[in-house]
Amino acid sequence: MRPINLLFAVAALMFIATPFANAEEAFLNYKSYCMQCHGMHGKGDGVNVPAMNVRPRDHSDNKYMMTRTNTEIYKAIKFGGPAVNKSIKMPAWGDVLTEEEIHQMVGHIRTLCCEREIIRGVNFK
Amino acid sequence: MKRVLFFALMAVLASPALSSAGEVGADILKQRCAKCHDLTGPAPQTIRKLWERDAPDLFYAGNKFQREWLVEWLQKPVRIRPAGVNYLRTINSAPTQKKEVEGKNYDVLYGSVLKPLKHLTLKPAQAEDVATALMKLKPLNKNVAGLKLNPSMNVGLDKGEVLFDKVYGCLSCHQIEPGFGGYTGSEVYTAGRRLQPAFMLSYIKRPKEWDPKIWMPNGNVKPDDLQKIVNYLILLSKEDFNAAN
Repeated sequence: MRPINLLFAVAALMFIATPFANAEEAFLNYKSYCMQCHGMHGKGDGVNVPAMNVRPRDHSDNKYMMTRTNTEIYKAIKFGGPAVNKSIKMPAWGDVLTEEEIHQMVGHIRTLCCEREIIRGVNFK
Repeated sequence: MKRVLFFALMAVLASPALSSAGEVGADILKQRCAKCHDLTGPAPQTIRKLWERDAPDLFYAGNKFQREWLVEWLQKPVRIRPAGVNYLRTINSAPTQKKEVEGKNYDVLYGSVLKPLKHLTLKPAQAEDVATALMKLKPLNKNVAGLKLNPSMNVGLDKGEVLFDKVYGCLSCHQIEPGFGGYTGSEVYTAGRRLQPAFMLSYIKRPKEWDPKIWMPNGNVKPDDLQKIVNYLILLSKEDFNAAN
C-alpha cells in the first residue's frame, strides 16, 4: 500500500472510531451515575426507585422525550432537576462530569429515546 | 525437647505482645487488608479506575472514621452499602415482565450482596491495633480544616427527615433505617457513630474532594442545612432500630 493511501485509511478509521469511543464512554457514565435511578436500560426502573416518591424519567419514552430539547436535558444533567422545573431528586452532576461528558450524555440519552428521529435528521436544538 | 523449646521461642517472638501496638496494626493492614483496600491513595481519577475498586479506600481512614466504631466493626463486620462498593457488579436489569403480572418491575440486586458480608474478622486486641494504625492515616487534613459541627443547629427526627428526603433527595440512595431508602449509597443510620462530624460536613459539601469520580452528587447544600443534616444523622444514629423488630 502506498503511504498516502495508508494515511487516508488511518484518517478514515479515526473518523469512524472516535464517535464509537465517545459512545462507549457515555454509556459507561450512564451506567455509573444514571443507572441507579433511571435503570440499566433507561426505562426509569432503577434499583433505587422503590424508595423514591418521584418516579425517574423513562428515557425510552419517545413521546415525552420528543418534547424536550437537548438544552433542557443538558441543564437537567448539569444543574439538576430544579433547573428545568423538575424534582430535586434529580441531582446536579456538574461537579463530577466534565462539559464534554455532559454533551456526550445528552447524545446517549437521545439514542435511548429517539434513534429513529436521529436517523431522520431531526434537529433537537 | 529442643524442638518444643524452639517452637515455644518462635511463638513468643511472633506474639504481638512483644512489639508495639501501632506496628502490629500496620503489619496486619499491609498483609491482610492491602489486597482489597487502597491504603496509599490517591483516589481513582477516572471512572474506569473507580470500577476496578473492590473495597472502600482506607488511605484517609484517620480523617473519616470514629475509632470506637472501627474497633467494634472489625470484630463484627457487616455490610454498610446495601448494593456493595461496586454496584456495576451487583445490579441486574429488571427481570422480563410477564404479561399477567401487574405493575412495573425494577432493577434488582443479585450476587454477593444478597449474602452476608465476607470480611476478615479480628480479635479484640488486633482490632484495637488495626484501628490505631488506621487512625494514623490522615493525608486529607486540608479537606476538614476549619469545619466544625455546631450542635446548637439541631433539628428533630421529623424535620431532619424532611431535609434528608424532600429538600435534598438523599433518601433515594441512602437508607435512614434498615430497609427504608435506596440501595446504592451507604446506610446513614449508623453514620453518626461511624464517621467524624467534620468528615460528614466536608463530604456532603463536596464529595469530589475525597473521591473525584464518586457517584455521590454535590447537593449544593446550604451551610445552615449542612449543619442541620449532620446533626440529624448523629441524632439518627442514637435510635435503637432493633427495638421496633
